[in-house]
Amino acid sequence: MKKSGAEILLEALSDSGVDTIFGYPGANTLPIHDGLRSGPIRHYLMRHEQAAAHAADGYARATGKVGVCLATSGPGATNLVTGIATAYMDSSPIIALTGQVTTTLLGSDAFQETDIIGITLPITKHSFLVRDVRDMKSTIQEAFKLTTCSRPGPVLVDLPRNVLASSCPAGEERTYQSTPKVSNGIGDKDDQLHKIARALNQAERPVIIIGGGVKLSNACREITDLIEKGRIPFVNTMMGVGSVHAANGYNLGFIGTHGFELSNRVVHQADFILAIGTRFSDRSTSNVDAFAPLATIAQIDIDPTSVGKNIKTDLPLIGDIRKTLKKLIPLVETPDRIEWLSRIKKEQETTEKRNCYKGCGEPGRFIGMVQEAMPEETTAVTDVGLNQIWAVRSWLPKTPRSLLTSGGMGTMGFSVPAAIGAKIGVPEREVVAFSGDGGFFMNIQELATISYYNIPVKIIVFNNSHLGMIRQIQDLFYDSRLSSCELGNHADIVAIAKGFGLQAERVAVEKPEEGIDKMAASKGPFLLEVMVDPENYVYPIIPPGRSNMEMIFGRSD
Amino acid sequence: MEVKRHTIKLVVNNKPDVLARIAGVFSARGFNIESISANVTMDPNVTKIRIVTMGDTSTVTKIQNQLKKLVDVLSVSHVRESKQGQREMILMQVKLTDKNRNDVMKAIDELQCKIVTRKSDYCILEATGSEEELEILVQRFDSLGIEDLSRSGVVAL
Repeated sequence: MKKSGAEILLEALSDSGVDTIFGYPGANTLPIHDGLRSGPIRHYLMRHEQAAAHAADGYARATGKVGVCLATSGPGATNLVTGIATAYMDSSPIIALTGQVTTTLLGSDAFQETDIIGITLPITKHSFLVRDVRDMKSTIQEAFKLTTCSRPGPVLVDLPRNVLASSCPAGEERTYQSTPKVSNGIGDKDDQLHKIARALNQAERPVIIIGGGVKLSNACREITDLIEKGRIPFVNTMMGVGSVHAANGYNLGFIGTHGFELSNRVVHQADFILAIGTRFSDRSTSNVDAFAPLATIAQIDIDPTSVGKNIKTDLPLIGDIRKTLKKLIPLVETPDRIEWLSRIKKEQETTEKRNCYKGCGEPGRFIGMVQEAMPEETTAVTDVGLNQIWAVRSWLPKTPRSLLTSGGMGTMGFSVPAAIGAKIGVPEREVVAFSGDGGFFMNIQELATISYYNIPVKIIVFNNSHLGMIRQIQDLFYDSRLSSCELGNHADIVAIAKGFGLQAERVAVEKPEEGIDKMAASKGPFLLEVMVDPENYVYPIIPPGRSNMEMIFGRSD
Repeated sequence: MEVKRHTIKLVVNNKPDVLARIAGVFSARGFNIESISANVTMDPNVTKIRIVTMGDTSTVTKIQNQLKKLVDVLSVSHVRESKQGQREMILMQVKLTDKNRNDVMKAIDELQCKIVTRKSDYCILEATGSEEELEILVQRFDSLGIEDLSRSGVVAL
């Protein structure tokens, strides 16, 4: 029996566990959409390809499975680019399927032709152009293997229309030709593990830094065990937030440019840092030369390029985090650490007094109230800007996948489409998207998707009529010379949401109870616009180029 | 940080986009590829590439690690500074006049070049050697009148 390339593709996707695709059709993907009519895979028609990529990403982050997005050749494919880059920066496993012109037209500047593989080279783990229908099945299998193995990341598969339409007789499918890789030659891991354990046991002021890799490696239980057994205080990078229950007594909060005073101060005093699944990005370290000056640094990561990338590591270990921690835990002792822990406790008392509502002001209080009103099992998705910092500081994740944010790429417009993906991936959980009035407009068209499929996500739009974080930076570091940061209040967001068919309410951030109650009680999609003072900034903040200790707590005037 | 010349040897799958992926790793860090040579091996599915670049050792190590991560790159190694096993070929078109003819012939003889073509007003010469040896050669003939030249880039075992 003969099958078409599109049929083989859909079968291979299904066999790999795909039940959902987020996409947008075009002439060159029509053989796939034809096949989707009858198959087991659900296709969600988004209103923009960028949103399809973010939805696949949100789906992957919420479920831990591979997210799949589909776009046609040319503009469809290029519209995916921001979404692919977002997934790449946060190591999210997504597969981007793109239609392509017929193979004989490749390179001829045909209608809707673009070299999407060339365009996405630096933002994908790998990419394939399927030139022969006999390679379809094995390419898809290989793509799935690559997207999840080692450090996850996006893989793009470019699919020429004639390959999708042509048929492949049964038994003529080719297997993927792969030549074995030569090992990286990392050296003796056990020896290094013992060295790390010894350094940790001997340290007087140890701190663990948890990065996004801990969740990706499903090592959240192991990291919690390590922390509790060794009585080790820990901080998170933005991507690491949620790996350990927020209420864990050793949690000091997240570090970096927009991090907490306490966590930045404690890292600065540490004599030993165990960094797990983080590359020490500039957002976490600020001025890297002044970062943790007293500490010996051990680093565990699966990706050799992340080790020693931004900071010199004294004890690097390349390996799977979960497996490594399982071996490390038995080697770790349980000291009392009275001195270090009581010193931190004292720091905590003074810093908390200085930073009420976690330095977020009214929006911090508001987010706490939202979390209180929503079910325990609720996923928060953030956008980028002040709303992101408010949410990451104030939302207290209890499970690893309950706070999704674009940490590396910082993509405005991420929250609403990613929330769609998260809700579809885990329908039994409530999903709240936090956005600002800047990012909200960047993917506002997705309200139509939400309304069409009746996807019951809650959207919170903080409206301060400004690009709040830009305003804060201009206010503090550009002598209050505000430029291009005022959005104004000429668009009625509640009326817009209602126009799309959503329920919507507007509240002031100081008096939000009624709106929150209505949102929590609603069964369908709901938008809550929250009016915020444009000068409600986040503190502390670290000026560009400065160290994590040079925090600013307010305007100098 | 000390900027040095580094030769990196790669064994890669013989695929159309592999070179673009490799070049991207260099250009992302603002590194220039000084010379590159690529050819098939005993195995037709596999290509050997040698790249010479200038940079500090720590960044070159990072580049090597990133190259190792590419799916179609099978192995990456840093070719040691010892010059054995690193050779390059050069082709030069040298002007011939009544005035320089004797000096050119003398240089050919002394530097053991091979004459590929000889016309009345120019000759094309071929030579192989280490990069340094070829530099000396180029300097010598430059004073006599090189009209064009082409170098293969380093090949190394």
